[in-house]
Amino acid sequence: MHEQKDRGDTLIEIVLTVVITAISVTALVSGLATAGTAGQAQRNSVSTDTVMRNYAEATKAVARGCTDGAPFVVPFEAPGFTVATSPAGVRCPPPTATQQLELSVTGSTGVTQVMSIKIRTP
Amino acid sequence: MNTTADPVAPAVHRHEDRGAALILAVAFVVMIGTIGAGLAALVTSSVNNRGTLERVRDRQYAADAAIEDAIVQVRAASTGGTDACQSVAGITRTPAINAVNIRVDWRSACGVIRSGEGLVLVQRDVIFAACVDTGVACTDSSVIIRAQVNFEQAASGAVTKTYVQSWSMNQ
Repeated sequence: MHEQKDRGDTLIEIVLTVVITAISVTALVSGLATAGTAGQAQRNSVSTDTVMRNYAEATKAVARGCTDGAPFVVPFEAPGFTVATSPAGVRCPPPTATQQLELSVTGSTGVTQVMSIKIRTP
Repeated sequence: MNTTADPVAPAVHRHEDRGAALILAVAFVVMIGTIGAGLAALVTSSVNNRGTLERVRDRQYAADAAIEDAIVQVRAASTGGTDACQSVAGITRTPAINAVNIRVDWRSACGVIRSGEGLVLVQRDVIFAACVDTGVACTDSSVIIRAQVNFEQAASGAVTKTYVQSWSMNQ
């Protein structure tokens, strides 16, 4: 009689344990997947940030060689990224003013970062 | 002496084991929870770091832009041609860029060089310090960018070109 009761309890325990374990493992796996996704997003974001900084420095380097009214073209390429300057087709500003540019960088995953800088003719 | 096992013993043993699986399961859940909390902390930390990095970048380029504006303003104000070694200072504020308001404090610094003929020539150098505009002057600890710029002046006093002599990003 006593042994029969024990057997029943053990079965319930095992079923309960299996259920709890399954839930825990599912939570862990989904947690790991989320961490992986977040890590990937973090890497994409940092890569885009690096390209943005390089683009900004390339733009400022071109500006250092500016003469008033000369075409302003930045020869910059980053594989896997699309870069753009707004407004497009600007010229070197006169020495009495700065020109604000909005730089945008878009990664292959669609992550876009935007930042403004100013250039001037030396 | 009777050494045979007590027939009741297994039943007692089984009774002591009751709940062991559940305790193990609870321990397992605690362990999984700890790992999950660690993962959550990792993800949160990454997201926060990313935000911080972006804010720092925006602030640095805002300071950079503000100094460019200040250089243009100082250039426009240079008309005398004889004030290279005069103590002149000022503040420039520009509209927010990258959602950051920057203040630039600047002061003239007398630069002296000796020409090929042995003449001592003064040069107009200006030191610029950019910091986040909090309404007070930039301090050493708050300066984001410090730059020294040389203003080349014609005999008439008009600035013909500027030369960046130093440009240091402090934070």
